[in-house]
Amino acid sequence: MIKVEQLHKYFGDLHVLKGVDLEVAPQEVVVMIGASGSGKSTLLRCLNFLEMKNEGRILIDGKEVDPATTPLNKVREHVGMVFQHFNLFPHMTVLENVIEAPVHVKKIPRAEAIERGRELLEKVGLGDKGDVYPEKLSGGQKQRVAIARALAMEPSVMLFDEPTSALDPELVGEVLEVMKSLAADGMTMVVVTHEMGFAREVADRVVFLDNGQIAEQGDPETFFSNPQHPKAQQFLSRVL
Amino acid sequence: MTSFFENLLSTFPAFMEAAWMTLRLTGVSLVLALVIGLIFALMKVTGVRWLGVIYNGYVGIIRGTPLIVQIMWLYFGITHIVVLSAFWAGTIALAIHSGAYIAEIFRGCIQSVDKGQMEAAESLGMKRALAMRRVILPQALKRAIPPLGNQFIIGLKDSSLVAFIGITEIFSLSMDNAAVTFKQLEFYTIAGLYYLAMVAIVTFVLSRVENRMDTAK
Repeated sequence: MIKVEQLHKYFGDLHVLKGVDLEVAPQEVVVMIGASGSGKSTLLRCLNFLEMKNEGRILIDGKEVDPATTPLNKVREHVGMVFQHFNLFPHMTVLENVIEAPVHVKKIPRAEAIERGRELLEKVGLGDKGDVYPEKLSGGQKQRVAIARALAMEPSVMLFDEPTSALDPELVGEVLEVMKSLAADGMTMVVVTHEMGFAREVADRVVFLDNGQIAEQGDPETFFSNPQHPKAQQFLSRVL
Repeated sequence: MTSFFENLLSTFPAFMEAAWMTLRLTGVSLVLALVIGLIFALMKVTGVRWLGVIYNGYVGIIRGTPLIVQIMWLYFGITHIVVLSAFWAGTIALAIHSGAYIAEIFRGCIQSVDKGQMEAAESLGMKRALAMRRVILPQALKRAIPPLGNQFIIGLKDSSLVAFIGITEIFSLSMDNAAVTFKQLEFYTIAGLYYLAMVAIVTFVLSRVENRMDTAK
């Protein structure tokens, strides 16, 4: 589904990603964890080209994506993204947020997009909120709308960039519930998060990044109970 | 005092005609300035280097020289190439002048929209131009309304400077009357009153528009 080979990324002199190899299989849920500054968000953002790699290869659905020759908007249609700060469009209602890309990018007839949009809002538990503006929603509700908005493009993979980090603690659960049900439906997901409970329960594989490299990866049970890398041990002792 | 009101009344028809000229100059020049300002602001925010250089040159020259110089330059300079009526010379000069300030307003408002909005739009498969039109501009234009209102009022008052290329608008009519009657203070006060009334009307309309935008999102 996604394959990354020897990915390097620099911000000026700062070497953020130092040769990352990663493969994500269809229907797999990969959770990336690591200390802040370890490069996990940057890696995620490279996957839909919001950050441009400096070296290495990125393959989506078996095809290498070269930003110079591939229209990135076409690639991004298949790669949904959920942001830490939701980034809902404040001048559109919840439903308009959800149908915006299907109508204007995929050119789906508006009526059809609305019907599908309402189903998606129903699915994230916000069937009654279609006509309100995002500012009227709680953080948890906003993030669920953002998930519905990304799903509306029927992506083959969903990227989550710390989706619960900006939420009040009592609102984290409702977002994680939606993500769990997505995983249960077989969605391919790459999730950057600090929610270790979610990683343990939902992930097929945990990837631990340290200093721009994958220091350790494995199934969550083994990783959490018996981490091998000293940095992983240190990290887990601090967050668990 | 009686003479003041007599003068105000006797010149009322002429001043109404002059006020209509002021409004036309202002209205036409501001519509053109909005178009100029939006085009230049979009050029600047594309990040294409040479477009940015053109932008900086335009805004730099216009903001760096007095409006009266720009009006004279256009009126006397460009007539070597095309013959412009005084009205169009004045209107175009005012448009180019306000356009630079309006470009700065649009640029600032576009850049003030959170970076995450463009990222979200692009992550949904929108091209940059589509994202600009559907996501960024609607938010930026709403933010632009208060500073644009301010610029409109400045534009209305700045139109008085075209008096010097022989257009009969409020200020030039006051000058003529003052010169003929030697009642300078009275006629410049009358001019001020007309501008005050027009600015009050514009301010009222703008506040209505702002309220409307607030409730309509």
